[in-house]
Amino acid sequence: MNTHYFHPAKLTWKSAGLLVPAALLFSAIPASAKHVEKHFKVDSRPMITIHNPNGTVTVKAWTKHEVMVMADHSSSSIEVDAVQTGNRIDVVTRPLSGDVSPEDVRADFQINVPEDAELQIHNDSGAVSVNDVLGDMNVDTVGADVGMEDAAGYLTVKTVGGSFQCLRCAGRIEVSSISGNFRLIDSRTYYIVAQTSTGNILFDGKFLPNGTYHLKNYSGLIEVRFSPDDSFDLSATSLKGKVNNEAKLTPALHPQYSAPRYGNSLFGTFNTGRAKVDLTSFDGTINIVKRN
Amino acid sequence: MPESEAIRLAQSGDAAAFERLYQLHNRRVYSLCLRMVGNTAEAEDLTQEAFLQLFRKVATFRGESAFSTWLHRLAVNVVLMKLRKKSGMETSLEQITEPDEDSGGPRRDFGSPDLRLSGSIDRVNLQRAVDQLPPGYKSVFVLHDVQGYEHNEIAHIMGCSIGNSKSQLHKARMRLRELLHEAIRSKAREERKAAGSSSGGED
Amino acid sequence: MSTISCNEFSNQLESWMDGVRQPAAEAHVRSCASCQNVLSDLEAIHSSARSWEVDEVIEPPARIWASLRLQLEAEGLIHDPASLSHPSTAIPLAGNQSHGALEHQVGWLDRIFAGVARPALAGSYLVALVAVGVAMSGLGSQRGTDDRWTNFTQSTTVPLRSQLDNVEHAVFSFNAADPAVTASLHKNLAIVDNYIVLCEKSVNEEPGNEVARDYLYSAYQQKADLLAQMTENGDGR
Repeated sequence: MNTHYFHPAKLTWKSAGLLVPAALLFSAIPASAKHVEKHFKVDSRPMITIHNPNGTVTVKAWTKHEVMVMADHSSSSIEVDAVQTGNRIDVVTRPLSGDVSPEDVRADFQINVPEDAELQIHNDSGAVSVNDVLGDMNVDTVGADVGMEDAAGYLTVKTVGGSFQCLRCAGRIEVSSISGNFRLIDSRTYYIVAQTSTGNILFDGKFLPNGTYHLKNYSGLIEVRFSPDDSFDLSATSLKGKVNNEAKLTPALHPQYSAPRYGNSLFGTFNTGRAKVDLTSFDGTINIVKRN
Repeated sequence: MPESEAIRLAQSGDAAAFERLYQLHNRRVYSLCLRMVGNTAEAEDLTQEAFLQLFRKVATFRGESAFSTWLHRLAVNVVLMKLRKKSGMETSLEQITEPDEDSGGPRRDFGSPDLRLSGSIDRVNLQRAVDQLPPGYKSVFVLHDVQGYEHNEIAHIMGCSIGNSKSQLHKARMRLRELLHEAIRSKAREERKAAGSSSGGED
Repeated sequence: MSTISCNEFSNQLESWMDGVRQPAAEAHVRSCASCQNVLSDLEAIHSSARSWEVDEVIEPPARIWASLRLQLEAEGLIHDPASLSHPSTAIPLAGNQSHGALEHQVGWLDRIFAGVARPALAGSYLVALVAVGVAMSGLGSQRGTDDRWTNFTQSTTVPLRSQLDNVEHAVFSFNAADPAVTASLHKNLAIVDNYIVLCEKSVNEEPGNEVARDYLYSAYQQKADLLAQMTENGDGR
């Protein structure tokens, strides 16, 4: 350490001005904290794979043809690495020895990618956040919550207990979980398959013409919200729970539908039935709610 | 499978025997819990807890009393523990079956004119009124008037005397009578108020 | 006969309701409207309470037993978990396939789990499930009676259940590096097991219910996927 920095007699206003933020920096970051930053030049539609068992993964799009990977971790028992192979960037957190504790395995990532990038993310615990990326994505977690905003493409999300929220997303969404909840807000997707066992599902988006929307759970709540100008064929079945409907339906226009024989079912057409909405629950409640 | 056989097999850990005992008694236990706590979520938890305690202890059952009495005693204890925790009270089973003037023992209003309850009692009102009873009154009322146990069985279940069981039951009924009358009067007041405001004010 | 007061009557009310009626009390009730009202109220409360139980049949939800069963197994109080889910342990096979053919296909399921990467695994199980079902039951031709549906469903789920149970026993000794992840996986496995029990019960009660059967198959697929994930986590991948 440079001793003159701390000698009171040699302090000037200028060095004192530097001293304060430096002191804050040194007090905020443990001595063993590691920071990694790497930049990679890529062509269009790069593939980025991220394997990070514990910690946050935040991915944002930018206008550069470049992938920037920034990682912070406090343990020297793990290594964070990012390697480029052609147009693919592989980012991985790996333990350096066999007996690393869960807290040591934690690394937090901030990754900037071109907006047409494709992502594959594996994160068991922590949180995953993706903003403004328009390429296809595959996210796999155990307990990490997954949040996407303004994403598009073919989005596949699989969690065990983590929740999934998608704001203003487009394209196709396939999401499954065992106990996670799903919120699909202001979406413009033409294909959704969402399945959770005990979680709740909220869909508050647009039913696009020719779109198909399958929401399924075992127990819990499924709620979809519609506007007067939406147009969909609806099939809603809860084997042992309730179906509450605010949409004025007419008998189904399209012959391929047949009403289920078991449980509480609702079946019909709203306006001209351009989209297909299929809601199923084993013993949960299904609400079809008119938007204010 | 008869109950005696199921008990014997359950004591050796036989899975089908456990299920049989559950099938034989689950409705009564669940009904008891539901009447006592007034909501299905808690009743489910309490039912599960009661059977869990039963199955943990089944090896110790020697047949000194009827199995159902033993089970219902467990169930009542589980419920009373829950109610006591909710109210913050730490009182013994004997204490909550003793007369307690402060918790709303029946007032004597004999001699004053009153409308009859007959025809005015619906299940919602009755459940609401039962919910307001002290735990000891509630237990005896639910066991006797709702589930049809005799006082000697209730005495076994609650660990009190037959006389105590009868006394608690009478107090419970008297208290329920007050609560139900109050509910009727309160409803009448609301209706008069609503009628008064829609006609533009009091006369 | 000497008359008694309302207060004296009130002291005898408890035994009156118990069926013990003194002549003086009877005489008082005949002439006192107020005490008649009290008596009438108590009798109304008693009979409402009785009809409450009689008229309102309360069926506890199936999930209570399902959850209880899991807890009993976890505590080692139950010694034969396999018998709990099925009405009998002897499951008749549907179709014309021999027991040897079934064993061959079950062995194939075993090999799938030996080392296939997880993304393919759940898909493999579903394909195997459907393949067993189609081969053994002649999907296109056997429709109609509840017995046939029961046989069809059991013939597809019994071998899969057996394989999953074997894997589950092996996986229980695995722990992921992160205890929170291990706990989450075990907790969600219990959720899926509960879900399977309830779906099986529903399918047994309504064998022709295609929605319930779809839920059951879906639950098995979820379980296979979850077990594969637990295996992966245990291997430290």
